[in-house]
Amino acid sequence: MSVEAPAATGNMGEPHPRFDARLKVTGGARYASDMPVDNPAYAYLVTSAIARGRIVSINLGEAQNVPGVLHIMTHENTSKDVKDSKLFSDGGFSGTSIIPLQSDKVWHDGQIVAVVVAETYEAAREAGYRVKIEYEAEQPSATFESNGVQVQAAADVKKTHEDPKVGDFDGAFASAEVKVDATYFTPTQHHNPIELFTTTCAWAGDKLTVYEPSQTMYGMKNGIASQLGIEPEQVRVVSNFVGGAFGSKGSLTPRTALTAIAARRVGRPVKLVATRQQGFTIATYRAETKQRVRLGASRDGKLTALSHEGWEVTSRPDNYMVAGTDATTRMYDVANVQSKVSIVHADRNTPGFMRSPPELPYMFGLESAIDELAYALDIDPIELRRKNDTMKEPIKGLPYTSRSVMQCFDEGAKSFGWSKREPKPGSMRDGDWLVGLGCAMSCYPTQMAPSSARVRLSQNGELRVETASHEIGNGAYTVIGQIAAERLGVPYEKVSVVLGDSDYPAAPVSGGSITTASVCNCVAEACDAIRAELGINDPKGDVLAALKSRGRGAIERYAEWTPKGVPDGALAKLYSGQAMPTGGTKDKERIMFAFGAEFIEVRVHQRTREIRVPRIVGAFAAGRIVNPRTARSQLMGGLIWGVSSALHEATEIDKRAARYVNKDLAEYLVPVNADIDQLEVFMIPEEDHEVNPLGIKGIGELGNVGTNAAVANAVYHATGKRIRDLPIRLETLLA
Amino acid sequence: MLDDADDKPCALSRRGFLGGASAAGAALPLVAEAATKPRTGRSVAAPDARAPAQVTLRVNGTDHPLSLDTRTTLLDALREKVGLTGSKKGCDHGQCGACTVHVDGKRVLSCLTLAVMVADKPVTTIEGLARPDGRLHPMQQAFIDRDAFQCGYCTPGQIMSAIACINEGHAKTHSDIREYMSGNLCRCAAYPNIVAAVKQARDVKEG
Ligand code: FES
Ligand code: FES
Repeated sequence: MSVEAPAATGNMGEPHPRFDARLKVTGGARYASDMPVDNPAYAYLVTSAIARGRIVSINLGEAQNVPGVLHIMTHENTSKDVKDSKLFSDGGFSGTSIIPLQSDKVWHDGQIVAVVVAETYEAAREAGYRVKIEYEAEQPSATFESNGVQVQAAADVKKTHEDPKVGDFDGAFASAEVKVDATYFTPTQHHNPIELFTTTCAWAGDKLTVYEPSQTMYGMKNGIASQLGIEPEQVRVVSNFVGGAFGSKGSLTPRTALTAIAARRVGRPVKLVATRQQGFTIATYRAETKQRVRLGASRDGKLTALSHEGWEVTSRPDNYMVAGTDATTRMYDVANVQSKVSIVHADRNTPGFMRSPPELPYMFGLESAIDELAYALDIDPIELRRKNDTMKEPIKGLPYTSRSVMQCFDEGAKSFGWSKREPKPGSMRDGDWLVGLGCAMSCYPTQMAPSSARVRLSQNGELRVETASHEIGNGAYTVIGQIAAERLGVPYEKVSVVLGDSDYPAAPVSGGSITTASVCNCVAEACDAIRAELGINDPKGDVLAALKSRGRGAIERYAEWTPKGVPDGALAKLYSGQAMPTGGTKDKERIMFAFGAEFIEVRVHQRTREIRVPRIVGAFAAGRIVNPRTARSQLMGGLIWGVSSALHEATEIDKRAARYVNKDLAEYLVPVNADIDQLEVFMIPEEDHEVNPLGIKGIGELGNVGTNAAVANAVYHATGKRIRDLPIRLETLLA
Repeated sequence: MLDDADDKPCALSRRGFLGGASAAGAALPLVAEAATKPRTGRSVAAPDARAPAQVTLRVNGTDHPLSLDTRTTLLDALREKVGLTGSKKGCDHGQCGACTVHVDGKRVLSCLTLAVMVADKPVTTIEGLARPDGRLHPMQQAFIDRDAFQCGYCTPGQIMSAIACINEGHAKTHSDIREYMSGNLCRCAAYPNIVAAVKQARDVKEG
């Protein structure tokens, strides 16, 4: 056992090494663009140089003369090929309703305007650069405050949107003894998984195989079929490994259909590996937000009023939003609450979900404001949270199924040494370095979706699990195999798991931290059906012996699992590509969240204002942890993402041109190894059998929620400067 | 311009040289090499930038004779021509380290290396680390033991870098490892576990 593989305590599973570890360290794991296809042609995308306007002319002469060029797609020959692109939030599958090559219209910077197909990648790229396009540009609107943006209230554009409110905020705030009224900003961010956005399409007759890294096998299968006007049965999607996704591969992007059309036209497989730069505009991103938070409290630290308003950028045609007030209005015991979310349409590509979509930006606002209130009250920020802790959410008075947030604070604080903190800002020093200690709360809604899986036990002891779920670094192979092994009492080494292929039983999109809870409960059900068939109800009973004694060669069970509260027909919907997640704040009788507490030490150099993060501590309670080793890694990754979102990441926008300017990994900053030093993760055992039979809450997004606020709070503690606009950089502190 | 330089043998005038080079930017090093050759006789035939180069890549001890567009990077040659897809493309610009391989035993970014440049040098990729009997390299084992990855996409590059990092003598301290492994991005952020893995493999080697 090592730090990296914490021993199982309480209800945790075993810290087995990853099922796919050997493949991943030998180069044997095949990601989508590694899949061999016969005689591929190569595609290269040409993207728009303006953010708004139209294409006046396209000159392909030079491009077509490049030896090896097979075909070039533009709106002049492809306008009718893509049938639809309905946004997933409107019941479709796409991350954008914009269909490139449909007309001469340019909706945003970096929109696909041509696709070159050639014998080699080199020829396709050269020809791509030789496509000559003339534009008629219009003045674009880039972001908040730009001329020409259109602001709409979320409640006006989305029927299902609610702005949570209760009591009389205005009255309570007006009469509050202590108040905070502050405005926060979070920047545009791009997921930037290290794997690029790739697509390989191969037709055999009228059957299409798509190799594409994806978090949604069935969403892709059905989405591509509807875009191409063919039947879902004609499409197979394969993605056994995904090289990081973080939300960016959870909905259909326009490139897939275009690659499929290209392959049909040239009569052979076509392989597209979009460049890193193109990835910033051909997929989704986290939109920038502006938030105003107002808190009112009594002198002794009891919250009396909370208001959270948010504005989020979206594209011209789409009403995408994350609306994190759904969570932030329910975290504390406060009688008077109001909230409102608005969207701001600009000439940008459509944003989408990125790791902890609503909570990451919105908890930054709330948890920064709570820290500000603690200073205004002169109360320890952990004690302020304890005073306002609750087992009931305040909006409808629904009980939390479990909420171990203060245990997380206490355990984290102990290890972090919080009690040694001098509360006064700027009071802790180490030579030339100002030391700051900050903390914040993390939360993530526990959600689950209907799932299906097939499990087969053979008399040689082998156990095979099949489901079209996704390995995106979440350890899906491992935890799914582990649950099956445990449930049937078969050694982990005897299990094989196959994922990432739409030929297997449908599983929901791997987003919103739903995979482990959804798929594992389903696999457990299939295993139980095998037990029942063999008449072995004692969990310690030997299923293999029973199988043999009955003279059976193998026994196979297919199961469909639906969490409580999903509407009828949800399984049919799953097979047609819709996940239908439930839980979180959607349940009528209770509210389900995982919680955590994060602690950050920053050091700010007193002259240069260089900021370092020598220590990160996170303590989390998320129901049953199936594998403490993979869980620790995921939470660790989340914590580092949180630091990144506070100190590193921002996509910079040229406001005149509405174009992103730092579109690569040298200019878009993410942490490197040297940026991260000591890091500790605690997993607080928590049993919650109300969320789902296995008591799993999901952890993929929990780690990075709130961490950005913990960093900003630590920077305040170190310097006395309250930074409300992320990321915090050296120049921010020099100003 | 390109047609000039390509099709007709012509004297290597300044105009012709610049034309060829700027039109096919990636071919620059080859042309430059031709330009520095001593000029014997009255004129030198310009190399045909479009003619495929015949190169033999020696990868993991096996020779692969290939006919390549001269602009092909070592990374693309490995992945698309040799069929070794363990080395990954994360940026194609030398910014992420996912494509790291060893050339002559040193770590090299294969996306920034033209295949023709390493024709006579031994190349080692992630596929070449385990023993033929399947026994893993200590660094591979250390990555498993320390759970030094999640999605695994940066992992081949991390492991190739990590082995070189030790060989270079840059794995002596905690902060040295963090510094000298910083050319390899891990978006899943397995960094602390990567450091632990490098230490484990280093100590196995030393012990
Ligand atoms: S692909 Fe070579 S450094 Fe990123
Ligand atoms: S393991 Fe996913 S990028 Fe490193």
